[in-house]
Amino acid sequence: MPERIKNRALEVVKAIIPLVIAIVVLQFTPLQMPASVFYRFLGSVGMVIAGMILFLVGIDVGILPVGEAVGNELPKRGSLPLVLGVAFLIGFTATMAEPDVLVLTGQIHDVSGEAISDNILIIVIAIGVAFFVAMALLRIIRGFAMKRLLTIGYSVVLGLSFATPREFVPVAFDSGGVTTGPMAVPIILALGLGFSSVIAGRSALSDGFGLIGLASIGPIIGVMVMGIIL
Amino acid sequence: MFTGIGQTSLGVLRALAPLVVLFVIFQFRFLKLPKGRIINLIKGVALAAVGLVLFLQGVRVGFLPAGEALGEALGLIGTKYLIIPLGFALGFLTTWGEPAVRVLSDQVEKASAGSINKKTVLVTITLGVASFVALGMARTIYGFPLTYIVIPGYALAIGLMWLSDKEYLSIAFDAGGVATGPLAVTFLMAVSVGIASAIEGRDPIIDGFGLIALIALAPILSIMVLGLIYRTRLRKIMSSIIPGQEKE
Repeated sequence: MPERIKNRALEVVKAIIPLVIAIVVLQFTPLQMPASVFYRFLGSVGMVIAGMILFLVGIDVGILPVGEAVGNELPKRGSLPLVLGVAFLIGFTATMAEPDVLVLTGQIHDVSGEAISDNILIIVIAIGVAFFVAMALLRIIRGFAMKRLLTIGYSVVLGLSFATPREFVPVAFDSGGVTTGPMAVPIILALGLGFSSVIAGRSALSDGFGLIGLASIGPIIGVMVMGIIL
Repeated sequence: MFTGIGQTSLGVLRALAPLVVLFVIFQFRFLKLPKGRIINLIKGVALAAVGLVLFLQGVRVGFLPAGEALGEALGLIGTKYLIIPLGFALGFLTTWGEPAVRVLSDQVEKASAGSINKKTVLVTITLGVASFVALGMARTIYGFPLTYIVIPGYALAIGLMWLSDKEYLSIAFDAGGVATGPLAVTFLMAVSVGIASAIEGRDPIIDGFGLIALIALAPILSIMVLGLIYRTRLRKIMSSIIPGQEKE
């Protein structure tokens, strides 16, 4: 357990150090930011690092093992609709708690002058992820090709990008990018790997992977459809 | 530093509650995990909640304002094209430090049975992301639509996919997420929103967002291209050793 905390801490610090150095260096150039903003940034570095470490350890200790248990138990117990329903719910709830999603939606809400509601956006993104997680599991069960599903998914994305109002296009694509964060990825992977190993004849490696790639298509489609409706 | 932390906490509770409720229902309906695991779950959720509050609060009071301030300073400089190499440098630094990228590099080395060196993967992804951040900055400065990059990009990804081997394909599409770590992304996003709001005639919503999408696209293309290059090279070597191998 302490070993795990140490590894996580190292991981977070390594990820953040280059950025902090870059900002400090830039502060001595004409690109410097106001001193108050700079000092608050330095102060927040500690907070962000501590926060991310606690969050990751929390996921490792408590949330991930339950996600794995669900992935292992579910296909043994339930009927197909139940399994897909549960996969949907897990994809949905994990995305609701995804830090990247919370930051992006908050930022969009502020920048758009509150024209785009962050609460609605979070729900749309979560539904998008959930739907595609369920689809990805259906793919594992039925054994159809990853390529085909990805091609269909991205073709829909490309088609919709012409149909949706242009202010929704960047927001939609960004929504697809943020779903692959520290919360949703391990849970969805645990679910997928558990699934592939329980269902006979499927190799955990090539069937379990690809889930994350599929999951990030959902929010893009969801937000574009939201743009068309609004 | 801590202003608005009450609201952040409320947001976190609302974000975590659905997952916890779901797990509780599972526990009673069919999981029936032993007590120890449940205590761990409670501990884990509590840690994650406190961590998420600190993270979001830090991002809100420190990272986003700093990123936006840097972006605004960039948007106001006379020689705008200088933003492009700076974007490249920022993209390079943040990806080079991202641990998930290193994990992925190991994964690719394994999938290729050692023929693709992990250092090669790391360098390719980092250069890929850096180039796409630079491209994203150029888009924000000159105001051309995101679709000009994203549509050919994904069309290329779909095309490459049909040429690639199955292992690379899954790894490549999962890799979309590796470079979009929560720390770098929140900062770079704020920078590009800042640039867009400082330059006359740019809309922060249209021209400022979209960078994360590019950071997600870069590793997908990088890995599939790498996989293809190595496969062609392998075939060439094979055919030079055993004549006639090329026909298969």
